[in-house]
This record gives sequence, structure tokens and C-alpha cells, in this order.
Amino acid sequence: MGGWVLLSLLVDNEVIVPGVGSTLSRLLVIVSGREFLNIVGYTFLRCIAGFLASLLIAVALGALSRWSAFLRELMEPVLSFLSSVPIMAIIILALIWLDSQLVPVFVGFVMVFPILYETVYSSIVNVDGDLIEMAHIFGVDRRTMARDIYLPAILAGISRVSSSTLGTSLKMVVAGEVLAQPEFAVGTRLMLEKTYLNTDGVFAWIIVILLMSWVLKLSMDRIKATWENKGWM
Amino acid sequence: MYAVKNISKSYNELKVLDDITIEFEEFKTTAILGPSGCGKTTLLNIVSGLDQPDSGEVEGFLYEKISFVFQEDRLIPWRTVGDNIRFVLKGKMDKEKMEWTVNRYLEQVGLKEYINYYPKKLSGGMKQRIGMLRAFAYPSDMLLMDEPFRSLDIANKRASMDFLKELIACEMRTCILVTHDLDEAVELGDRIVILSDKPTKVKKVITNMYRVDGTEESRVKARKFLENEILSVRCEVKESQK
Repeated sequence: MGGWVLLSLLVDNEVIVPGVGSTLSRLLVIVSGREFLNIVGYTFLRCIAGFLASLLIAVALGALSRWSAFLRELMEPVLSFLSSVPIMAIIILALIWLDSQLVPVFVGFVMVFPILYETVYSSIVNVDGDLIEMAHIFGVDRRTMARDIYLPAILAGISRVSSSTLGTSLKMVVAGEVLAQPEFAVGTRLMLEKTYLNTDGVFAWIIVILLMSWVLKLSMDRIKATWENKGWM
Repeated sequence: MYAVKNISKSYNELKVLDDITIEFEEFKTTAILGPSGCGKTTLLNIVSGLDQPDSGEVEGFLYEKISFVFQEDRLIPWRTVGDNIRFVLKGKMDKEKMEWTVNRYLEQVGLKEYINYYPKKLSGGMKQRIGMLRAFAYPSDMLLMDEPFRSLDIANKRASMDFLKELIACEMRTCILVTHDLDEAVELGDRIVILSDKPTKVKKVITNMYRVDGTEESRVKARKFLENEILSVRCEVKESQK
């Protein structure tokens, strides 16, 4: 904060580094705007939709890969492709293939999926072999094993990466919005402020994104605490 | 009658078990005593169906009627004490009977207050006792115990041994205890099978008089006898290595 104040004083140019005062007053205008809740709400929705889609598919494919070497081998090149192709290339492809509303969701999904898939897979693979042997000796059925051993192990793994992957998802969704320009989107507004050289507006939207990221982290911590209280992990 | 007859097992070139024949008396505890690494756990794995012998027969053991006490507690860390016991009972009885069983066993040994505790809140000895309780709560005819006190310190070992004795006395179960510890064999084994080493054979089978009359004299005598036997096993191994 001190660095920002000092830098804006040194540069003394609102277009390059806006002051704290002008940024905060712009933030106030943005927050009090009629469309603010819609903009933030839709970006949240896209972020969560991308994350949940990744999570569901990662759990299904991660679990199946544990018992199918063929599927695991099939996933290797897919993961390698998704991890090495630049995000801009994926966004451009998504712009060609998909509706502008779906592009940010797809981008969020694509960036988060490899992390969640690897997490789910390694959580299952690393389940304590002694517990599995104990369950076999006592003739515990597969459903009980899945619910009492594998599912908590997966949830524990996901909870370790959930905050960071949700943060990544939000960043990628905003990046997708910047290029896809859906109607209600933080990324669209960010681009609009840049077009009109309203740097204080760009700074204000960055603050909004940081607050959104913080809200996601808080929510995830709440969810983790609930999982722990219920003995799910 | 439960028995293993002429069991042999090798891993690559190494012969671990050589023509082992043991009969296990019903509703009694048979302690299998031998030096560390002589193949006792392999024998137990064969009896429980986790491993297959190269030759020989396993008679009378129904795998679904076997419960196990492991060297470690093997409790699910994210499940409470009650849930850990319920975990092995699900599908074997209806919900009402399951709750009755869990409560009955915890009450019987004075651990009811720990029903909602997570394993991380319990000491090592306490966790091992819950592992034992889980094995007894499981509807089995046969109880296999693989060095159940190995990971415990002396104080916890004593308490857990008394705990196990109490459970064995209350329950009609046929038990097999595998151990390298003379005191455990004397305290818990109605019959004691002494194994020789490299390759492992049955050296001697004795009836433990201490478990019959409970006198200190019998305990000392049995311990001394086992001490000599184990010493002679060690001497035989050293001789064979020369």
C-alpha cells in the first residue's frame, strides 16, 4: 500500500499509476453501480461452474484411472497437452468453438482439470494399503470401502488444493472474459476500462477480483471445516 | 478342528516355511513363538487366506469367520472409535444389532466414553486396544493376532495384554497369537508352538501350565523352559551359518 502511494506520487500520472484516492472513489462508483452484483455474480458463477465441472470429471476419471491402466495411459497425452499449450491458444480455440458465455467457463475448466485429476488419482493411489488390507480381511464391501476410505481420501486431497485451484479458476475465467466479452463479466469491464484508459478503473476492478478471490478462499475454508466436522476426511 | 498340515512356502530360493503341521484347539489360544523374521507372519497370512502355500493344506478356516489384530492399530484416522468398529460390522448385521454390539463391547471394557473420539486423540496403547476390540466385535469364530503389542512401550504393553486377556476370558473364540516375546506367549497362550529357524519348522508344542493353574511358579517355569528353547533355536541357526 505504502509502495503504491509512493509510486503514484513519484510517477505523478493518473493514466500510468493512479492514486489511491482516485482508485477508491472509482471503486465506490463501480460497487454502487446497478449492474455490479450481476457482473460479479456471473463471474462467480462461471468460476464455480468451471471448477465443479472439472471436479466432477476429475473424480470420475481419476477413480476409473486407478483401476484401468488403459484409461490412465489415455489421459497422459491429454494432461500433457493441457499443461503445455499456452492459455491464449486455448482461449482462441474456445472463441472459435463456443458461445462467448461459455468461453470463460471452458477456460477455467481446462486450466483446473489437470490439477484436480492428478490430485484425485494420487489420493486414491496413496490410500494406506494397510487400511485396504484390513478392510479385505474383515470382508468389508466395496460400497463401504468407497464411502469410508476412498471418498475421505479424495476429499482430503481436494481440500489441500481447492483454495489454489479456485483462485486459478477465477483468474482464468477473468482472462477468458477479457477476450470473449460476455455481457456481465468482470473481465469485460476490465477491458472496457483499459480501452478508455481509465487506469483507476482497472485498478478498482483488480481490487474487486482480489476481494472475490478472498471470498472464495473463505467459503472453501468453511466447506473444509464442515467436511472435517462431519468426519468426511 | 482347525489345522495346517505339511505347509511349505518359499520366496524365490529362500525356504520360509518347511512342512509345518499345527492343530489349533477350539476356544483356546495357541501362541506361535519364534525368532523375529522366521516366517510367523507368513504362516498367519496363509491361515487368513492372504497368502497361498506352495504345498500343504489349511483345514477348518472359513475366511469370512476370521478376524485379525494387526501389529499396528489400523484404525481409520478420519473415523471415530465407534465408526471404526461399525466399519467392519456393516453388512454383517442389521443397524440395531450393530449399535448394540458396538455399545456392548465398549461398555464391557470401560471405553464407552471414547465412542466419539478420533484415533488421533488416543494414545498408541489405547488405539491398539480399540483395534483388538474391533476384532472381537466382528462376528468371527477365529481370531488371528500378529504381534499385537509390538509397537507399544512397556506400560502400554502390560495394560493392553491385560485388556486382551480379559476379552479372551469373556469370549468363546479360537485364537492364534504370533509372537517373538516369551512373556506374551506365557501370559496368553494355552498351547505354545515353538518354531525353529531357517527353514522354519515346528520344534516343540507345549501345554502352558500357567494358563491352567495361574500360579507364579508355573509362570516362571514356563518362561524358563521357553527361554532355553529359544536359546537353542538361536544356537542351531548360528551353527548352520558356520
